[in-house]
Amino acid sequence: MRIRAIAANTYREAIRDKVLYLLLIFGIISIVSSRILGYMSIGDELKIIADISLASISIFGALIAVFVGTNLVYKEIDKRTIYTIISRPIDRYEFILGKYLGLITLLAVTTLVMGIISALYIVMMGGSLGVIYFEAVLLIYWKLLLVTAFSVLLSSLTSPVLGAIIVLSAYVFGHGTGILIDIPVDMQGTYMESLLAAIYFVLPNLSNFDIWKEYANGIEISHTYVVWNMVYGALYTALLLYLATLVFENKDV
Amino acid sequence: MSEIAIETKSLCKRYRSHLGMGLPPTLDGLSLRVHEHEVFGFLGKNGAGKTTTIKILCGLVWQNQGEASIFGYSNRDKRARSLVGYLPENPYFYEYLTPRETLDFYGKLNGDTVAARNKRWDYLSELLDLSDIANQRVRGFSKGMRQRLGFAVAMAGDPRLLILDEPMSGLDPMGRHMVRDLMLRLREEKKTVFFSSHILGDVEQVCDRVGMLVNGKLHREGALQDLLTRETLRVDVVTRDVPEDTIAELSTSAQRVYDADEGVCLSFSSHDDADAAARKIYAGSGRVVSLTPIAETLEDYFVRQQEDGEGAS
Ligand SMILES: Nc1ncnc2c1ncn2[C@@H]1O[C@H](COP(=O)(O)OP(=O)(O)OP(=O)(O)O)[C@@H](O)[C@H]1O
Ligand SMILES: [Mg+2]
Repeated sequence: MRIRAIAANTYREAIRDKVLYLLLIFGIISIVSSRILGYMSIGDELKIIADISLASISIFGALIAVFVGTNLVYKEIDKRTIYTIISRPIDRYEFILGKYLGLITLLAVTTLVMGIISALYIVMMGGSLGVIYFEAVLLIYWKLLLVTAFSVLLSSLTSPVLGAIIVLSAYVFGHGTGILIDIPVDMQGTYMESLLAAIYFVLPNLSNFDIWKEYANGIEISHTYVVWNMVYGALYTALLLYLATLVFENKDV
Repeated sequence: MSEIAIETKSLCKRYRSHLGMGLPPTLDGLSLRVHEHEVFGFLGKNGAGKTTTIKILCGLVWQNQGEASIFGYSNRDKRARSLVGYLPENPYFYEYLTPRETLDFYGKLNGDTVAARNKRWDYLSELLDLSDIANQRVRGFSKGMRQRLGFAVAMAGDPRLLILDEPMSGLDPMGRHMVRDLMLRLREEKKTVFFSSHILGDVEQVCDRVGMLVNGKLHREGALQDLLTRETLRVDVVTRDVPEDTIAELSTSAQRVYDADEGVCLSFSSHDDADAAARKIYAGSGRVVSLTPIAETLEDYFVRQQEDGEGAS
């Protein structure tokens, strides 16, 4: 109940945030304007629309997760609302978890809103959805779970500005971890290769969650692949949240 | 023997600067004991570490060394916090909630049922005069309104111990009066109250015991009377119809002689000198209008102890 009370307030506060609406509106504009790019391209217009719509859900969702998430804990300390909260008989992890759950509930709503708008738009333009469309949106949300956990971790460590810079860099980098194992021939078999491979396994591979590219191109994806990615994301998220509570446990507020 | 509500043993706290450098210790071996049912005033000048001590007790800040416990539970244990109501120095609440919603939120954090929360609201809104503003957002609240809400939040769980950080600071006379009455009421209800303050007059009116924090340690503590009767500053003798030459004679042993409304006032540094003077006046034709020992005020005491404490180390 304590976690829920904190989550409910976090949700309530975040839904009043102007940044949220700004990003949401940009996301929707971006979905709708995908048609213009579709016209301009020579290839398959529908493919471009699907591609850009889902990319918008992913990117604007991530921006919300980062900008709201890196503020979550920091703001409570900065505004001193935290004093009366963690002096209650709650554990500090309950506070972190409550903040986290509040934001991911909000992200579920925004993802759903953008997902529905983009689905309607694709159908309106004559495209088809299929199960894979919903799986693609689900995996986008799953990626947001991970990004939010990382944002909350940074929020209990540092200021929102620095936190956002770090999370956004990690986000960009996390989509390009493929280059770590895609190494030149003369490096194969060296220590460097093992090292890079180790980094590859430690860092989250965010592009694994982007099955919307396959959806846009009409490529089949197995359900097992989706499930495994969800397991992978859940483990990673749990690890990040665990780190956040460790950091926060000993913090002076 | 009553239970011990608060106990700290050799508490040390050293904050770190932003660059991670060690700062001078804020608390340096603070040992303190507050018994149940006591109203304890925690004194110390700005920056003495009162808020730090309170934050350690409430689980907001962790000590580097030493122990702190509440009714026997360590400050790391959340059971300790379930017995405490805490009012921060300047309480801040979610600006977009109303007092009613705020109390409900803290009730949930305390683990109360809906029925218990409603009942508590009825009691506290009446006690703290929150009914009129029950459904206004906290955003526009004045300091006095925030403080009342702060008290309601602190008392939400009907705690055995209240820890109040400067409960009267920033309030107008009406507000201070309200807080004082509230504290007296809590004392009647056999609650334990631990509060820090600068306003010594208020301390004098409500405390059973006081402790003073100097250089990160408890410099003095005790019942207010015991501390204050230690020193009688002077004895004032006001006289009338005393011949000039007697006055002149007495003024050699007096600290000070001046004209008061009722007559001539002679200040002596001891009771013996004052008594001797009175006898001499009676032996003549003069009258003694009054003979008043002037005790040290808490203010004087505060300054003197502060200086003693700082001189000692
Ligand atoms: N978070 C912090 N980081 C670094 N130093 C701090 C921190 N909080 C307090 N201090 C320092 O610790 C000392 C004690 O501060 P504290 O707020 O406990 O004093 P106080 O007795 O409550 O003072 P006041 O009467 O002004 O409220 C001060 O020198 C202060 O600068
Ligand atoms: Mg203070």
